Amino acid sequence: MKNKFLIISFLLIIYGLTLIAIIMPDKKISYTEKRYLKEFPEFKLDSAYSATLESYLLDQFPFRDTFRSIKAYYNYNLLFKEENNDVILYQDGIYKTLYPTNYKSLNNYIDYLSKISANFTSNNHIYLALIPDKNYYITKKNFLQLNYEDIYQEVMSLPFKNIDLRNTLNLESYYLTDTHWRQEKLLDTASVIATSMGNTPITINHTYNKYPSFKGVYYQEAAINSPKDTLIYLTDIYTQNAKVEYLENPKLTKVYNEDKLTSFDPYEVFLDGASAYIEIENPLSQNSKELVIFRDSFGSSIIPLLIPYYQKITVIDNRYIGSKSFLNLITFTNQDILFLNSTLLVNESFTLKK
Amino acid sequence: MVFSSILFIFYFLTALLLLYFVTPKKYRNIVLLLFSLIFYFLGEPKYVIYLILSCVINYYLSIIIAKKNKSSKLFLIIGLIYNIGMLVYFKYTTFILTNIHNLFNLDIPIIHIALPIGISFYTFQALSYLIDVYNHKHKPASNIIEFSCYLTLFPQLVAGPIVRFTDIKEDLKKSSTTLEDFAKGIKIFIIGLAKKVLLANVLGELILKLTTQTIISSWLKPICYTLQIYFDFSGYSDMAIGLGLMLGYHFLANFNYPLIANSITDFWRRWHISLSSWFRDYVYIPLGGNRVNTLKWLRNILIVWLLTGLWHGANWNFVLWGLYFGILLIIEKLFLAKYLTKFHILNHLYTLIIVIISFLIFSTDNISTIFIELKNMFFLNNIPFIDKSTIFYLKDYLILIIIAIICATPILSKLYTKLQNTKIAPILNIIEPLTLILVFILSIAFLIDASFNPFLYFRF
Repeated sequence: MKNKFLIISFLLIIYGLTLIAIIMPDKKISYTEKRYLKEFPEFKLDSAYSATLESYLLDQFPFRDTFRSIKAYYNYNLLFKEENNDVILYQDGIYKTLYPTNYKSLNNYIDYLSKISANFTSNNHIYLALIPDKNYYITKKNFLQLNYEDIYQEVMSLPFKNIDLRNTLNLESYYLTDTHWRQEKLLDTASVIATSMGNTPITINHTYNKYPSFKGVYYQEAAINSPKDTLIYLTDIYTQNAKVEYLENPKLTKVYNEDKLTSFDPYEVFLDGASAYIEIENPLSQNSKELVIFRDSFGSSIIPLLIPYYQKITVIDNRYIGSKSFLNLITFTNQDILFLNSTLLVNESFTLKK
Repeated sequence: MVFSSILFIFYFLTALLLLYFVTPKKYRNIVLLLFSLIFYFLGEPKYVIYLILSCVINYYLSIIIAKKNKSSKLFLIIGLIYNIGMLVYFKYTTFILTNIHNLFNLDIPIIHIALPIGISFYTFQALSYLIDVYNHKHKPASNIIEFSCYLTLFPQLVAGPIVRFTDIKEDLKKSSTTLEDFAKGIKIFIIGLAKKVLLANVLGELILKLTTQTIISSWLKPICYTLQIYFDFSGYSDMAIGLGLMLGYHFLANFNYPLIANSITDFWRRWHISLSSWFRDYVYIPLGGNRVNTLKWLRNILIVWLLTGLWHGANWNFVLWGLYFGILLIIEKLFLAKYLTKFHILNHLYTLIIVIISFLIFSTDNISTIFIELKNMFFLNNIPFIDKSTIFYLKDYLILIIIAIICATPILSKLYTKLQNTKIAPILNIIEPLTLILVFILSIAFLIDASFNPFLYFRF
């Protein structure tokens, strides 16, 4: 009896899943994983073909997400592991182990910023605001973190005016399921940045636009049912009147690209996501000040809050545009210049384009 | 292609089982041969020709050798030269040329030859087949299909166990299985898959994470590597044995809880049994074994272990690894044997430490790194006892390490046997298949979640 049960169950599983996999049409996109799935590979006479075929079969395997959840539950609840694929569940949030500190990358970041700053004039006012990633605020015993002390000490040794953001943020400033910070929690942070650069605080009435059921980049990696976030983006008279030029997307002229709310990554609603070079004009500005921001993805959500303080903001993401290219687009005169990068980028700075 | 893949379990195996069992028995070897060649082709397309050539050459050589005439010995020698020559060419050419270059400072071009998967395994099968035919231990296979089916039999083709023709010659003729064997095959296959996917791969993940140098991590890494390679290799052997049973082939066990051995001699009776017995039967005994004077006996042991080391890989760390065991076995046989039987816990501890250090040598291809790691382990380098990272990962993987240690011993198997003789036996009959199916589903979940999954023993 037990033999029959085992044989029938085993055959049902292997033939049943194979049949479903064959019958079901291939999916092109996985919205939960935020990526394009592999397509059936053309046959090639080489030893790597079976690995390519395996990747395709893994991508198109029936109940893929369910199987990944089974593994996550087993790791978290039966093996009592804190990590599953480097993903850690802490309080209600999802975190990823960022360890160890990449000192080569830290030095590279310092060198990179020094080289860029050689292009500035003596009339430029240079500021640096390092954004702590959300692991910085985890106080759990024995939690593996980057050596923030070393990172801050090294980065702050650069000859720029430092704006320390650490006390303006806490764990709630970040999404539960995503690596990024929440725009609606950044009003104080933006104000600190603006005033540290010599601006007078401005009182603004914001409209809170909500996108519920936001699943951040860690949501799928965690592969378990975790609470969803609400993505909120703030609009005001400045963001509504701003004229925005995106180098890669000339058709878009707005601060927020609402079409991105239904894309792979709804966080891209802020300044269209990954954009190499953006110019934002503020027709309501009371001054003629200009700001140039060297930023990463964290910058996308806070930059809209800085619009009221400047007549023009130029946004450069050095992960997508090298210095040779952006120097053709901008002339440094007397602008305020802000390096606004996260500790994540500092630890992976070889992604910066030369 | 590896057994622990979606391509194998859900496409190759399903297609094979269907075609194999709908085909009349007398044609099943043809189906099996075709699938074995497809299996090899998917992993190594260009070398499938060499595999076919090996089948043809060895089969016809065995026919000539079996004729018992004056030329039998000559054709046996031709067969040995062909098989060993091919193995040396593919596996050791680069190693030999590099060492000639380094030793004599000669400006010779170093050629890099891709190693055909499983060549060490099927070459040894072909050698044992020819030698056994010459020694009249068995007759040659009835036909070339039967022989090719034996040599290319996919369950053991790429990573063993090294199967002798005598062990499966009856199975090759029957080409059928029983319901009991089929179920047993599924059970062993699932256990093997779980060993590989749920234990070996995860232990490997832990080793990669232990990046800081502390005394504890210096011990933890080779301990985990020992467990990883045991579950990886014995898992593969189990899957091979299980698949064989599903198709009606009875391979001998390749592992017998080696990590509970009470001496190095005992360890090698339990670890990679098919390889140790191959070297015993085809190298050690023909050299005279222990029925010679002491010096020759010691020479025989060292030759066998030098070859065992080299069989595992063309690198000096494997030579060192083989000689390490050879020398330790000599010390054990000459001096330690009588003491080891007296101290029941210490003998296990002694064996474990020797084995753990051996796998440190095995896993490190740089000789100087081996000595640095050994110094780290034995407090001879100035490194911290433990650090935050080691504490974190030790804690995070602790339950898995405990499970792995339990599974490396016969505790569960003994408990199962005991329970079968109690009142709860009927419940056990329900729990056992259910557990196996759950473990199978969990293994699939791990396969789907992982992206890279190579077998450690594929490089041999």
